[in-house]
Amino acid sequence: MKKTTVRIVFGLLAATYVLTHFLGHAHAQSSLGIGANEAVLPSTGMFAGLLNWINVHQQQFYRALTGSLKSMRDGGGGQWLLVALSFAYGVFHAAGPGHGKAVISSYMLANEVALRRGVVLSFISALLQAVTAILVMTLVYFVLRGTAISMTDATRFLEIASYAMVTAFGLWLLWQKAVPRLAGAFGMGRAHSLSAAAAHAHHHDHAEHHHHHAHGPGEVCSSCGHSHAPDPALLSAPAFNWRSAWAAVAAVGLRPCTGALIVLSFAFLNGLWVAGVVSVLAMAVGTALTVSLLAVLAVSAKNVAVRFAGDGRMGNRIHAAIEIGGAALVFLLGVTLLAATI
Amino acid sequence: MQTLPALLAAGFLCAAPLSAYAHPHVFAEASLEVVVGAGGKVDSLGHVWRFDDLFSSTVLFEFDKNKDLKLDEDELRSVAETVHGSLAEFDYFQFVTHDGKEVKMRAPVHLVATFDDNMLTIMFESQPEQELKLDGKVDFGVYDPTFYTAIDFTEDELMMVQGLPAACTRAVIRPDPDEAIAQNQQTLTEAFFNDPMGTDMSKIFATRLEISCGGQG
Repeated sequence: MKKTTVRIVFGLLAATYVLTHFLGHAHAQSSLGIGANEAVLPSTGMFAGLLNWINVHQQQFYRALTGSLKSMRDGGGGQWLLVALSFAYGVFHAAGPGHGKAVISSYMLANEVALRRGVVLSFISALLQAVTAILVMTLVYFVLRGTAISMTDATRFLEIASYAMVTAFGLWLLWQKAVPRLAGAFGMGRAHSLSAAAAHAHHHDHAEHHHHHAHGPGEVCSSCGHSHAPDPALLSAPAFNWRSAWAAVAAVGLRPCTGALIVLSFAFLNGLWVAGVVSVLAMAVGTALTVSLLAVLAVSAKNVAVRFAGDGRMGNRIHAAIEIGGAALVFLLGVTLLAATI
Repeated sequence: MQTLPALLAAGFLCAAPLSAYAHPHVFAEASLEVVVGAGGKVDSLGHVWRFDDLFSSTVLFEFDKNKDLKLDEDELRSVAETVHGSLAEFDYFQFVTHDGKEVKMRAPVHLVATFDDNMLTIMFESQPEQELKLDGKVDFGVYDPTFYTAIDFTEDELMMVQGLPAACTRAVIRPDPDEAIAQNQQTLTEAFFNDPMGTDMSKIFATRLEISCGGQG
């Protein structure tokens, strides 16, 4: 395949991603003014049918879930059914809108993160989200009830904090990814340094000072022309930056999910403490499963794309473009969500 | 070569993650009463929405200032004010068209909120801004354009018309989502590119009351 074709294909992919992800994040606040809504997007185009299917199932699970909580209130039992329904709801819910999977996927695109770690990150962030929901509701129930601070206010505060963190995190990623490359591009032969930087990106993720792998003019780049599929040895190396990973996790986990909050408020009011907490945790596990799957898909697609584009300059450029693009997407997502919320 | 499947997967991935619309977190059983006055003119629309137990608990959580686990008059008033204020941006979930043209509705002066059997009910009434005479086709849709609330008319009888002129018929239309998407694919795609922020999607799914009056159209 020719360069132009590759460029067109990637241009289209990027356009699809931006169109479907970043336009239409309006109305983060709920239409009723009580509770917080999640991002809303019109769903059109070729996946409307599939998305509609997801939506229908998600609604059914949510209704069944609320139904089982009600029957438990009325003394009907059915804890396991509740757990199963919460889990299923989580799986479908994560396939719907939400910033979690976008941040995690983009982060994984921007960094050479081992797939296994990506899965771990997805699980930690989903669990953190559940814990946030439980903490918020506990706080609201025992401390804030009767004060001027409502649950909607608390959620809104966390939401803004979460989106601000996503923005800051995106900016930081962008800084890390783009600056060394740009510096390289200006410092010496463009093609040379681009490939060097791309090929060595995983070594430099931890670098706080953005130094890049420099080659003197005419020096042979030993790893240029190698396959860019993740090398298992590198992925398990300590190069992985837990600090940046935690930033991603925290940015995602700060914003509790609306469904979880509603379920918890009902459960707490009716004394179904354990049921509420277990249900929210089961939701988190379901969510994590979908988010991991999507993140793994994103990284695999990236690897395929890079391999497919060949090992030369083009492959490295695509690699660089995906990494910088991933960082830019995190930033853009944060800004858009923040703008819609404030 | 595995490129085609890979690219398809990538394309799917790019389009899929966020583009499902939000799903409702709040369910309300609704009824609508269209009151037709003298000369076949629409006097008012009356709405009653009874919210589900879970959302109602959330409301109780938020508005129970004196922690007695009940919503008294003051608290209910602030519920009504909050909802009234928020709904303004969404035309109070009322979407009326006359022969396909949008009919503006006046904002209700206030809403009434009650809390019985652990369930919140919201009631309000609103009038057309300009005279709305029943001729041709008049459609009344009640839905949340943001998908946050599912307004359900569980039975056709819950969309009532009082004083329906003899020349008119009343029908409740419940679009099938798949068909609706298929039929509206073209316009939806256009709408999306013209107004990506638009959340008009729910329009094609929403249950609506259609009054058709022959002869004078």
